[in-house]
Amino acid sequence: MSEPRAAGDSVVIVYDGPLGASLADTIVAVLPGAQAIALKADGTLEGTARSALAGATCIVDATLGDASAKQAVIQALDAAAPPSVPILANALTHSTTELASWCAHPERVCGFGFVPPLSEVSVIEVAPGLRTSDVARAACIAMFEQLDKETAVVVDGAGLVSARILSLIVNEAAYALMEGVATASDIDAAVRLGANYPHGPLEWADRIGVDVIYRIITAMYAEFGEDRYRPAPLLRKLVLTGWTGRAAGRGFYDYSESSATPESSPIPT
Amino acid sequence: MTTLGVVGGGTMGGGIVQVAAQQGLDVVLWDVKDEFLAGSLSRIRASLQRNVERGRLSQEEADATLGRIRTTTNFAEFGAVDATIEAVLEDVETKTHVFQQLDEHCPPHAILASNTSSLSITQISAVTKRPGSVVGMHFFNPVPAMGLVEVIQGVSTTEETMERAVALGRELGKTPVRAQDTPGFIVNRIVRPFYNEALRLMNDGVASHEEIDRIMKGMGFRMGPFQLMDLIGNDVNFAVTGLIFEQLYGEPRIRPSFRQGRLVQGGLLGQKSKHGWYDYE
Repeated sequence: MSEPRAAGDSVVIVYDGPLGASLADTIVAVLPGAQAIALKADGTLEGTARSALAGATCIVDATLGDASAKQAVIQALDAAAPPSVPILANALTHSTTELASWCAHPERVCGFGFVPPLSEVSVIEVAPGLRTSDVARAACIAMFEQLDKETAVVVDGAGLVSARILSLIVNEAAYALMEGVATASDIDAAVRLGANYPHGPLEWADRIGVDVIYRIITAMYAEFGEDRYRPAPLLRKLVLTGWTGRAAGRGFYDYSESSATPESSPIPT
Repeated sequence: MTTLGVVGGGTMGGGIVQVAAQQGLDVVLWDVKDEFLAGSLSRIRASLQRNVERGRLSQEEADATLGRIRTTTNFAEFGAVDATIEAVLEDVETKTHVFQQLDEHCPPHAILASNTSSLSITQISAVTKRPGSVVGMHFFNPVPAMGLVEVIQGVSTTEETMERAVALGRELGKTPVRAQDTPGFIVNRIVRPFYNEALRLMNDGVASHEEIDRIMKGMGFRMGPFQLMDLIGNDVNFAVTGLIFEQLYGEPRIRPSFRQGRLVQGGLLGQKSKHGWYDYE
């Protein structure tokens, strides 16, 4: 099972939002026979999806829903697919071990994670849980290698490596903004020019989705139970009001009129 | 055009002097001893010469730049400056002593800036009779190459002083950003998790330091956190984290890593000691 899967294998990818959609599009474009299935608004699978899953040789869960939605999806996949089929699951908001604990066949679940968009990431984190089988782990590595990505095997846990570090940088920036240390555009310019980061933390969050960042931080806070991971209240407010970033037209910056100059209207502090 | 006084001709002060003179400002550089001043001038001359050799600067421009720099060991020479930037040791006693001298010798209209990265501008300003004219201007190393200056507003700093410091930053060819006088200001605070969380992940056995570096570079960072700690020096990086942690009265998000402390204790400081997270021999 360590060799790449042959063409004609049936990979089925399930997604629920723009992030998962971009991974789904990439997989469908690269792997012959792959099928992408969008979840219904209520997070459940269509009947046609169940038949696709029954014939799948590998399943990818690209959802990043809240705990109950994620559990519903994982259990539906576990129920619909034959027990030998690996389930490769986005494990940024739950440890792989937790995702697997919801399944009748926990050994087939292998987690993965990366900070979207996929096109800007060259190394994908592969995160086996305590019970993940060698077969599932090899399937996860093989799939990302087929997408021309490097892989790094890490221990499972909310945020994994890159998303954990980046979301805490965003959290610190959100605290600084909330506390009135500086404006959003000055915070971003300072970090870009003073630390040579590829993006400022707040504009980066707007690209990824403030809701995604917030979900990862709250997952870490829940899993590790330390003040270190306490999400900035400003992040929660942005999510509650629907200002989740570029895709929503507004996040830390307002993109509604001229998206070329988001600096024009940073949120008030 | 501004006449600028610079206090301290070390790496940061020398860089500020070079940039200011290249941008056409008249500069007076103060240091405690003539030999320090001579050393500083020769480093600036060498840096300008490299730029000439690389075709970035003409010989005439390099000569004119050097011609705009005066040196002195006497603060009385600061009688005609419009602004000063202090870049001495990062020690509050040393800095407050300098600011008392500057307050005495600089004309009343002059703004007094400190290039501190970690001390409170408010505390420094309080030893002068013009705390409203005292401001932070935090440059980044190496000054000629780094485009940012953080302009720091202490609790007494006036809006007029802020505007003049921002304008001075632009005159020096830098992008100024404004920040309140808070621990670590913007950059040094917001980048803490890049180091701290990487150390935590390594310590918890989530991934090795080599793998963490590879993953972070794979998402667009030029260097991984452990490579960067070795470049900065684990002693310096650990001390900055500790200072911000203390100044925030033990904020858990900033808590230093004992693992990095062990490297400092063992003398594994990074590239400069040939050993750190990586070996450099």
